[in-house]
Amino acid sequence: MDHTRARTIAEPDADFPWGAAPYPVLVVDVDGALVRRNDAAAVLLPQAAPGAPLVDVAPAWLAAAHRTVHLPGPYGAPDADPGLSGVIGGRRFEAHPSVRDDGTVAWWLVDDTDHQLVRDALHKERKRTAFLAKASSALLSTLNLGRCMDVTAQMAAECLADAALAIAPSRGRRLPVVTCLRGGMPELSHRSVDPDDVPGLGEALRGFPPVPARWIDPSTAPQWLVPEGFGPVGSIVITPLPGHGVPAGALVLLRRAKTDSFSDEEEVFARLFAARAGAAMSAARLYAEQTAITEVLMRELLPPTLHQVSGVDFAGRYRPSADHERIGGDFYDVHPATEGEASLVALGDVCGKGLEAAVLTGKIRSTLHALLPLADDHQRMLSLLNTALLNSHHARFATLVLASAVLRGNEVDLKLTSAGHPTPLIIRGDGTVEEADTRGTLVGAIREVSARTAAVTLAPGECCVLYTDGITEAKGGPMGDVLFGDERLKRALSACAGMTAEGIVEHVQMLAAQWLGNRRHDDMAVVVIAAPRTHHLSAVNGHTRGRFTG
Amino acid sequence: MSISTPPAFPCGGRPEQLADQLLNAALAGDEHSAIELVVRALDEGADPESILLDVIAPVQGKVGQEWAENRINVAQEHAATSINERVITALGVHPAVGTSITRGRITVACVDGEWHALPARLLSEVLKLRGWRIDYLGAQLPTPHLIAHLHTTGADVVALSSSIATRLPTTHAAISACQAIGVPVLVGGAAFGPAGRYAKLLGADAWAPDARAAADQLARSPLSRPQLDHQPIDDLPHLADQEYTLVTRNSDSLVRTVFAALEDALPFMNEYSDLQRERTAEDLASIIEFLATALYLDDEDLFTGFITWTAQVLTARGVPAQSLRPTLHLLALELKDFPRATRILRAATRTVTTRHSSEAGKPA
Amino acid sequence: MTTPPPDHLRLTRVDTGDRVRIELDGDLDHDTADLLVNEATAQLSARPGLGHLHLHCGGLGMIDSMGLSALLMISRRTTAAGVRLHLEDRPANLDRILRLTGTFDHLTAPSPTGAAGDSAYEEEATVFRPTRPDAGT
Repeated sequence: MDHTRARTIAEPDADFPWGAAPYPVLVVDVDGALVRRNDAAAVLLPQAAPGAPLVDVAPAWLAAAHRTVHLPGPYGAPDADPGLSGVIGGRRFEAHPSVRDDGTVAWWLVDDTDHQLVRDALHKERKRTAFLAKASSALLSTLNLGRCMDVTAQMAAECLADAALAIAPSRGRRLPVVTCLRGGMPELSHRSVDPDDVPGLGEALRGFPPVPARWIDPSTAPQWLVPEGFGPVGSIVITPLPGHGVPAGALVLLRRAKTDSFSDEEEVFARLFAARAGAAMSAARLYAEQTAITEVLMRELLPPTLHQVSGVDFAGRYRPSADHERIGGDFYDVHPATEGEASLVALGDVCGKGLEAAVLTGKIRSTLHALLPLADDHQRMLSLLNTALLNSHHARFATLVLASAVLRGNEVDLKLTSAGHPTPLIIRGDGTVEEADTRGTLVGAIREVSARTAAVTLAPGECCVLYTDGITEAKGGPMGDVLFGDERLKRALSACAGMTAEGIVEHVQMLAAQWLGNRRHDDMAVVVIAAPRTHHLSAVNGHTRGRFTG
Repeated sequence: MSISTPPAFPCGGRPEQLADQLLNAALAGDEHSAIELVVRALDEGADPESILLDVIAPVQGKVGQEWAENRINVAQEHAATSINERVITALGVHPAVGTSITRGRITVACVDGEWHALPARLLSEVLKLRGWRIDYLGAQLPTPHLIAHLHTTGADVVALSSSIATRLPTTHAAISACQAIGVPVLVGGAAFGPAGRYAKLLGADAWAPDARAAADQLARSPLSRPQLDHQPIDDLPHLADQEYTLVTRNSDSLVRTVFAALEDALPFMNEYSDLQRERTAEDLASIIEFLATALYLDDEDLFTGFITWTAQVLTARGVPAQSLRPTLHLLALELKDFPRATRILRAATRTVTTRHSSEAGKPA
Repeated sequence: MTTPPPDHLRLTRVDTGDRVRIELDGDLDHDTADLLVNEATAQLSARPGLGHLHLHCGGLGMIDSMGLSALLMISRRTTAAGVRLHLEDRPANLDRILRLTGTFDHLTAPSPTGAAGDSAYEEEATVFRPTRPDAGT
């Protein structure tokens, strides 16, 4: 501020006391002519001699400001816009007017250059911080790799470059690339290209050896790297996206020829962004890999979708005890019959919950599968299953029901055997609900097991309901502490006469879920075996038909 | 792709006629005829979207109505619904219904506790016809499963269906969860109230009155990604008073207390069978659930509307509806320290009183 | 959904001569089954001369499949150790689950002669009884 701090030579003047003031002061009259100036002003504006028109000796912005300030009468603006400022001699000044009694205006000029620089830097920093915060929350919100790449490319194109490419390490031969132009939408493509053809890209995608962000000569860039219609490329920088110990990919930033190339500061900033994008992309990739593994392992443990087999209707539905899980300790299977034989249904419950229990259900299901040749001898099957499960280290048992179902004419013959499991219920055509006469020992805990098989015949439209105790032991109801119970289940089933297998399964699960409300519960499984209604019988419900066709 | 300009029914047929025939088949449990009706219409060149929305949807509406008005039982309602489901499946595989994917990916699901899957199913099929790639997740979907699915598939939009008002708090949680991972949510279904007023309240990105409107809306303009700095409590600042939480948490003991007090107040309850007592307790529980929902939304109309409807149902069931007034009174006594609950209960009491007196004035 | 505190089953032990009586008070389920098994196991290992283990079930609340599994495990270990297991003062819900699962006879009338003819359990007995100092209380 040396040049504003002029030396005081003049004597103090009553009319112009600011001769020696450290800030430049100009007094300008109503007509825009300079009346006086102080020493500091003389240093700043050497041409500004008294008598000269302000417009000739001062920057246009100051002259313009003066015209708005000194307007007399109602148009006058003595407290003119405090934001008046502009550049004089390469520095930035704020101009503060004060209107004097004689109508002249004294202009104080305050050097604001350093303030302004700091303000600009702060503003820029805030913008970057805000950008990084926004990027973080957008990236952290998703665990989907594609979406992470979209966000990365789009945000980079918004703030760092004219176009950006997010590239993920490829699993197959083709490289997943998301391209985004500034102001555009991110677009995914798969490129059959060799990343090693682009300097630095191969390393970035392998994550080894470590490479810094790297400039490449735009003229050597392969065509696929430059978005269509981008125009001449000024600069290209390839930044590795660091992952959690695994390579996450690479970020390619492109600027047009007419845009400034990257400053050091911008490169540092791009690296900060890349660190966030890389972390998010590798988390998403890990999640996807874990999900894929879980999916494959779980596929075997998930209950199957049931449908009609050899003329017998089957339906099943399962609700695990924890809403975030899809598997648990209940299981069911239908093993389709070979020609003329019975299909075998198994529904059961192993003690325990969650994944551990689910693994045991897997063991039981594969053992039963292996024992299928013996399917018409339930006792034998159960006895062999029992032996296979006996384990001296724990007494984790299972209870289950085996059902062999075969269509004879339009009726279904059933053999039902309970191994320590809640008794299957039969819904007759008139709504009567019967318990199947079968009892037996649970399997997997005691050396000697026995069971009694029941034979049941289902007429068309009748069905047999197998369920686990998660249904009957659902605790809830309006008072919150009552078991759903056998009686309530039977009453509900009695209203289900004539319903499809699917309908009953869904209805029972719905009633149990409503009984429970939001309370905790055990695994719940229901399987219904039904003799299909024959066509001519299907319309037998005269009450309904009469109403609409009569 | 089909253009949705109904009626596209050839041979002089109208959707209403086909709907009547389909309704008869569905209520008679005649799956075979039901499927044949629709397949024949498609063979003759009917527009698939129109069959879904102008035939199957109204048929399902009628089935629901028949059930609500006690003309068919639960078994018939289920049977008819599952026939409608199968008709939709048959439509989906008909050679005339070619679908190619020309648009983005949408996940369609029902909120947790929503068992009526058919509206969501219809929407799925319509969106498929319009070229979207659809993941239909069905009824009663726990929110954690929905979110895991969205992470895996990266859907552009979630369409959530909810028909039961008392599931709205759960729906709000589901909407917020989807939005928090950057997926916009379109909602629909009776739960969202007249003109979808609760959809807006719960911060949904879009609402549509029916499947056709939803498909049109999604075709017109894609839903933009939701703001990530959104906090669910901002939608419903009144929740800060905890009335919803406390009423919900104590609902079991509220039912018990009010039930016991009702037995003292209404001598005829001594004659009730166990089943009747359980029904009464269930009615009580559902009144409290609606009250809690009204507290969640801070919307007293929701509660008064429910009470009016309950009064009608009770009357239809031959249960004296005047038991509603003491019920509301007893609840108000229990909740006297809850200003919003008190206000809502007072409004409902007024409604019941008005209704009662206006009915008393009318000759039956 | 909260996990109930693990102490919702209380066990009280009464020792008399060659008998140990454990009184159960509370629910025997997924969360508490191990508690009972560990206690019974500890008693079996700590008392080589034990003749009878009485589980007094009068105070038993809910019992689930893990609870039943605990009883079966204890039965297996008492059999192997030649100790007689008595389930006493059984509430109706316990009898119900025992009958439903076909374990009633097994658990209420165990063979007084102990491990005779059961090689799997004999093998366990050797592993289990004298060489488990860690199982003692």
